[in-house]
Amino acid sequence: MTSYILRRVLGAIVVMWAVATLVFFMLRAVPGDPIAAMLFDAGDAAAVDALKARLGLDQSIVVQYFKWFWLTLQGDFGNSIYGSRIAVSRIIVEALPRTLSLALLAFVIAMVIAVPAGLISAVRRNSALDNGVTLFAFLGLAMPDFWLGIMLIIVFAANLQWLPAIGYEPLSKGLWPWLSHLILPAIAIGTPFAAIIARMIRSSMLEVMRTDYITVARSKGLKGNTILLRHAFPNALIPVVTVMGIAVALLMSGAVVVENVFAIKGLGRVLIEGILNRDYPVVQGAILAVSAIFVFANLAVDLLYGVIDPRIRYD
Amino acid sequence: MSDDNGCKGDTDTRLAAHVQGDLDHALDFDPRDPLVGLSREQLSGPRLERRTVLRLFAAAGILTTAHLLPQTRRRALAAEGGTLNAGWSGVGEFTTLDPAQINQVLLFQIASNVMSGLTHIDPDLVAQPDLAIDWTPNEDGTEYTFNLREGVTFHNGDAFTADDVIYTFERSRDPAQSIHSSVVENIAGIEKLGPHKILLKLAAPQASLLVKTLERSSGRAMTIVSRGAIESMGLEQYGLTPVGTGPFRITEHQLGQSLTMEKFADYYDPERPKLDKIVIRPIIDAEPLAGAMEAGDIDIIGGNPIAGELIDRFESNPDLTVSIVPQPGFQSLWMNPHREPFKVESFNKPLEELMKEKGFMVRMAIAKAIDRQLFIDQAQFGRGTPAYGTINPAMGFFFDESLAESGAQVYDVEEARRLLAEAGYPDGEGFPELSLLHTPAQRREGQVLKNILKKSLNIDVKLDPKDFPVLIEDGDKMDYDLMRLGSGGDFDPDDGLVDWMLTTSKFNGRLRNTDEMPFGYFSDAEVDEMIAEQAITADPEARRELVRKINAITSDKVASAFIYHPADILVYRNTVNFPPESRIPGLVDLDRVTLSS
Repeated sequence: MTSYILRRVLGAIVVMWAVATLVFFMLRAVPGDPIAAMLFDAGDAAAVDALKARLGLDQSIVVQYFKWFWLTLQGDFGNSIYGSRIAVSRIIVEALPRTLSLALLAFVIAMVIAVPAGLISAVRRNSALDNGVTLFAFLGLAMPDFWLGIMLIIVFAANLQWLPAIGYEPLSKGLWPWLSHLILPAIAIGTPFAAIIARMIRSSMLEVMRTDYITVARSKGLKGNTILLRHAFPNALIPVVTVMGIAVALLMSGAVVVENVFAIKGLGRVLIEGILNRDYPVVQGAILAVSAIFVFANLAVDLLYGVIDPRIRYD
Repeated sequence: MSDDNGCKGDTDTRLAAHVQGDLDHALDFDPRDPLVGLSREQLSGPRLERRTVLRLFAAAGILTTAHLLPQTRRRALAAEGGTLNAGWSGVGEFTTLDPAQINQVLLFQIASNVMSGLTHIDPDLVAQPDLAIDWTPNEDGTEYTFNLREGVTFHNGDAFTADDVIYTFERSRDPAQSIHSSVVENIAGIEKLGPHKILLKLAAPQASLLVKTLERSSGRAMTIVSRGAIESMGLEQYGLTPVGTGPFRITEHQLGQSLTMEKFADYYDPERPKLDKIVIRPIIDAEPLAGAMEAGDIDIIGGNPIAGELIDRFESNPDLTVSIVPQPGFQSLWMNPHREPFKVESFNKPLEELMKEKGFMVRMAIAKAIDRQLFIDQAQFGRGTPAYGTINPAMGFFFDESLAESGAQVYDVEEARRLLAEAGYPDGEGFPELSLLHTPAQRREGQVLKNILKKSLNIDVKLDPKDFPVLIEDGDKMDYDLMRLGSGGDFDPDDGLVDWMLTTSKFNGRLRNTDEMPFGYFSDAEVDEMIAEQAITADPEARRELVRKINAITSDKVASAFIYHPADILVYRNTVNFPPESRIPGLVDLDRVTLSS
């Protein structure tokens, strides 16, 4: 098991390096000089050249790459090229808890909706409830999360004034301020995810319910709920857990757009603005953070298999 | 502001704003105060000011207009204190508030509440004392003696002295420390004459010194910074939470999330600020901004111009006030004079001669074919003023209203078609398809322009949206047919003329291939000479004459097809009392703002 984990961690690092390298060169291939745009108002060509030299952007791309690589190995992700040249690590450390809070709440909301919906749908197959869940799933998948977010703002914030429309409050300001600012964006991100999981649980449950050991359990006279929750559901979870690794991708990509809608400065917003501004160090740092989340989340999912199904062992 | 400036309901809006402003001031007092918020000087003769009389009428309960307005009752409860929640439109984060690095209007809107300059403009864009209480120029305008305000402290407790002015100047003139070094190029040096007295020496007289260079908001180069704070906090932190001498001090800044300012109790004016606290949130998208306003999450909107499609919605909301004044800026359609079909070898000839050239005829045809009011109605939802030059209506004294009647670019579609035909393209036949460079945010404007040119001249325009950094690069290299670009925060004629109409203007194709293109988008020797002359002309009347002449020439010679002057739109809840003296175009000064209970 330990050697498996070590191999996966090393593999994860290689993947992260490959992604970061690709982004490094792709970003510099995008047209548009960020320094010229930043100093457009000043209109001073000498100032543009001076700033480029100070930031090392006047050097060849290969030199820039090796400098960046060497500093990154030492944990120095550089500074934003904009404004106050804030350290990239500081930007990410401040943004990450917001995105993680949002993703976590979105996940919880999604599971709270998806698990009962999927179970009911499987148990009451072809009933009105099953059809309702199917409709919900299709709607959830069809609705763009940013559109859903805007609709939620209009209904629950602007009209009913039950919840705030925008912003984020850290947990240190209190549980309700933190939660109230996250509910609407979490619903916007979590709904498409819930739709996928509900359908996944339904089909997985239907398959498991047809197996021999469930038939044996029924013939032993076990109660329906016991069969469902103790025997069928845990086995139906394995493919669902697989999807959870992909769920990280869904939640993170949803966060990128929804953070913009709800004015939450999470990792998604950091990435978007970094790309639009051609803020190379910020984009590179954010991509490293995002790729780290992806690979280690998938590793955690793989390890979770062993917990759910004792038959699965890694060496 | 006259009716012919094109802003719908403009006169009514301004009148209502004035009446409302008078009412706000008249009723802004604690009923328990025996002096009803007035100072003994204000109550002293031989003459009482109009507003003092209105306040006394209000206190006596005989201010008749007050009984006619439903808000009167609420306004009477306006008092100091409270927290104002603000949303800053169209921005994701406040990258820096260090004046030496600020490059956006939305950033110096905030800095103007935290920092001071030697001067500060008023709603008429006239320089008023700020940290300088008075100034005396010498005979030829090359030296200014400034008496500085005494007893002023920075937010960190450091005393403000002449040394801080000199420190700010030295920092700004160093391109390694400031992006505004060119702004102070004309200042030869600053000499300390006393702890609160300086002698400022200029290389040449400069008419825009007080409104542009030394001004606290748009000036930036001489926005006074705290040396002690910079050295103790470091530049990174100073850019997030700068220390100044302004009415508010920044107490918290979560980058991209919120910025909190609190009342600076030791501000040099004991009457200001009125608010206890301001929280500003950057909100990049239009719909969430509207949602936040309607949900009551925010009380006022600042920052970038609000999306036009939201204004009708705000105006129909009885809980909101929409204040519209001319914004100090202009927006244009630039035509590349080095490309067919509007190629011009040289602008250095009389207009009559230029009019014989086919390339110039095409330029004039396009300029005349744009129905500017239609453009404003369709692209800006009716808010804006048709433009015929870079000098904008907010500049007031310098603005020339007659160009709207007699200028060469005035809309005349028949004449435009005639010119196009004479240039060899009757009814647009054979006219090449043009590419219009614009930012994604200007997509609607681009579409409207495209439709107008098709309808007026039957010419085809292809939209070419590009991110701002790419647009700037293409613009600087003169790599475009048509380009949509303009300016904002133009408080002084120099902003419109020096920055845009000089052969050597900073925006005038500075990265172009000079062998192939001897000038950028425009060059006229006579205009260059007059711009240099007006920049050193101290007499306002003489300067105005020059400015108007330059504006007329650049308009007639179609330096660009000027389209509109944007409207400066401020939206706030009715519980926010925003006095007229704070309504400076382009800025959001909050030091006199109060909240009604």
